[in-house]
Amino acid sequence: MRKLAALILALALMLSAASLAVAETPKTKLVVWSFTDELRGMIEEYYVPAHPEVEVVYTLYPTDGSEYRNKLDTVIATDPTGDEAPDIFALEAAFVKYYVNSDTTAPLSDLGFVDEDFANSIPAMVQIGTDSRNGQQKASAWQSTPGAMFYRASLAEEYLGVTSPEEFQEKVADWDTFMETAEELNEASEGKVKMFNSIGDIWNAYQYNREAGWVVDGKLNIDPVLYDYLDLTRQAEEDGLYNLGTAWNETWFLGMKSDTTMTYLLPTWGLHYVLKPNSGNYDAETDGMVEGAEGTYGDWRMVDGPVGYSWGGTWLGANAYKLAEADDAKKAVVKEFIRFFTLDEDFLYTYAKDSGDFVSNNNVVNRIIAEGGTPNPFLGGQDHYAAFATAANLADGTIMTEYDDAINTLWSDNVTTPYIKGEKDLDTAIADFKAAVAAAFANIVVE
Amino acid sequence: MDKPAARFAPGRRKGLSKVNYNRYGYYFVAPFIIVFLVFQLYPIIFTFRTSVSDAIGWNKINDSMVIGFENFKMYFDPGSPLFYDFWNSFGNTLLIWIANFVPQILMALVLASWFTDTRMRLKFRGGFKMLIFMPNIITAATIGVLFYSIFNYPIAPANSFLQQVGILHAPFEFFRSTTASRSIISFVQWWMWYGNTMIIMIAGIMGISPELYEAGLVDGCSSRQTFYRITLPLIKPILLFNLVTSMIGGLQMFDIPHLLTEGNPNKTTNTIARFIYQQAFTGSRNFNYASAASVILFIFIVMASLMLFWVMRERDPAVRDLRRAGK
Repeated sequence: MRKLAALILALALMLSAASLAVAETPKTKLVVWSFTDELRGMIEEYYVPAHPEVEVVYTLYPTDGSEYRNKLDTVIATDPTGDEAPDIFALEAAFVKYYVNSDTTAPLSDLGFVDEDFANSIPAMVQIGTDSRNGQQKASAWQSTPGAMFYRASLAEEYLGVTSPEEFQEKVADWDTFMETAEELNEASEGKVKMFNSIGDIWNAYQYNREAGWVVDGKLNIDPVLYDYLDLTRQAEEDGLYNLGTAWNETWFLGMKSDTTMTYLLPTWGLHYVLKPNSGNYDAETDGMVEGAEGTYGDWRMVDGPVGYSWGGTWLGANAYKLAEADDAKKAVVKEFIRFFTLDEDFLYTYAKDSGDFVSNNNVVNRIIAEGGTPNPFLGGQDHYAAFATAANLADGTIMTEYDDAINTLWSDNVTTPYIKGEKDLDTAIADFKAAVAAAFANIVVE
Repeated sequence: MDKPAARFAPGRRKGLSKVNYNRYGYYFVAPFIIVFLVFQLYPIIFTFRTSVSDAIGWNKINDSMVIGFENFKMYFDPGSPLFYDFWNSFGNTLLIWIANFVPQILMALVLASWFTDTRMRLKFRGGFKMLIFMPNIITAATIGVLFYSIFNYPIAPANSFLQQVGILHAPFEFFRSTTASRSIISFVQWWMWYGNTMIIMIAGIMGISPELYEAGLVDGCSSRQTFYRITLPLIKPILLFNLVTSMIGGLQMFDIPHLLTEGNPNKTTNTIARFIYQQAFTGSRNFNYASAASVILFIFIVMASLMLFWVMRERDPAVRDLRRAGK
């Protein structure tokens, strides 16, 4: 009797164990690397509920001090197909080109994507995610970060007699009119209000006027338009047309809350995370205005500005080495991950609605605008989604290269700053710049 | 009756000599040796290896080839793109180091002699020592941000203050002036390290036998004579130690220039360590050139240290004996 009981018990145990094993199909493991918490949150909230069959292993290294890049470069150099190595990694604007223009990232066509899949994506984001060497698309973005120009409505009316964004756009339609307006403003306000705050503000947008990027066919390329940029910034320095700020310093932030600066050139994230919180009378808890406090909340308006540009963004790319060894099932999971986050219009719509982020898909953007858009009290009720939508499709992403981050700094340190402050003449500055590029990049031909 | 000392003397009793306590010494030094081998010796050897290889970029760091002394030519051929940058940063480093080291050692000596002078009877010595040492405890990053904010342009405390007291009439851009930038960096280095040097000096002075000072007192030495005739000659080894460690630290100066000026204006505050960092971790990641520069710096430091030892060697046999006896 006791034996029988034991047997039944043992059988029951075995059966339950077996049934457990049947119920739990093995999950596909997907290793994702990123440099912020943002993607982790999105995975947990949207991806995991829709994809229970995938186990996402999320690894985060901060970008500060280029730790993320060092980790990524090390793992790719030593063990690109190992368990720890990412299947998918997030790429930031500062270094997306470095990976896209290398064999590290797999062409998205290898995963089964075709060009038509990206037909509705914002062009600049696709262009930046494309390998400049052969035109293959390698990374895709869920976000789009077009830049626009923000200006102070009350100051524009007082000193320039401008009452609508359309009128203001005419005043800044290109860089020449922008400078004329800057002079006019300086005179009308007797130097109290300046057109812009720092030289860096102009650079972020102005560089998109170039025909080609910093490096063309392995050679350093100084686009002729950059000499116009130097003329412009030197004039601004000599005539005192800006606040002498530097991005992120006290003067720069002060211009956002006081009546000293007319315009800021900022992208999507700049509106929400830089301009609004520093407007002086913004209340983070209610996402509204503090009544009675001094500040500029509600006085800002948005226009396209002199040039369409893009600043920032996050892309997703797939590890080419790991993908080469993956079976079809794994490839399908990698493809689905990229598709879900960057092409799934339902997801992008929900995400845009939840977060207010500006997404990379024109269909979704148009749908949100058609539904009444996002009237923004900070912009006096102006719809920032509609304004960004125009700006987004103006930017040309093909001028981005993997060298931009480093060369932009060398350009500003060796040319712009010393030249406009009269420390160097133009020829010396350009020669120093070329020498600095040659010293930093053994692989760029400098003539 | 047995003398206890004889009974417990080591090795006296049979069998005791077999227990060898020496190995415990090895256990105690093992952690250091292991850490040293893995995190110091190996990287040093690796750096030497990289300096004679063609390792540019991450892809090649592991399968680079030895190509001989090509990389070193970059620093000795005036036509190479790195020649000017390297020697320029070398010069900057020496200049900034000397500008902070000379006042640092003088200030430390003066303070150390005050704090140890029995005749002066300074009050709150402990408090002063703590205050003077404090800047050394704060991390360089914090100090970098602090001084960057103070000397910013056009609106910052230094500018506001100088304009209010009437020294300046318009804001001055400190970090676009070579003299101002170098001075600020030297000042920060001085301010961070003179407390540290002072503490070491005090320890050195306290190590001098009080008999000498008492003898001096009896013979009617003045404070000045005591300092020049007794203190200074006898803390020479400590001075040498300070000089050598400070030189090694000073030539590797990185954090303050990196955080404060990033080598600006026009590379006049770029230091040798920053040059190496830029070569290795920015641009095309020229690990080979960076390693070659590190090796040159290493050789320079070794030679300069040996020279200091030679210059500061004790020439007076009487003092040498005295110092040995004092030990």
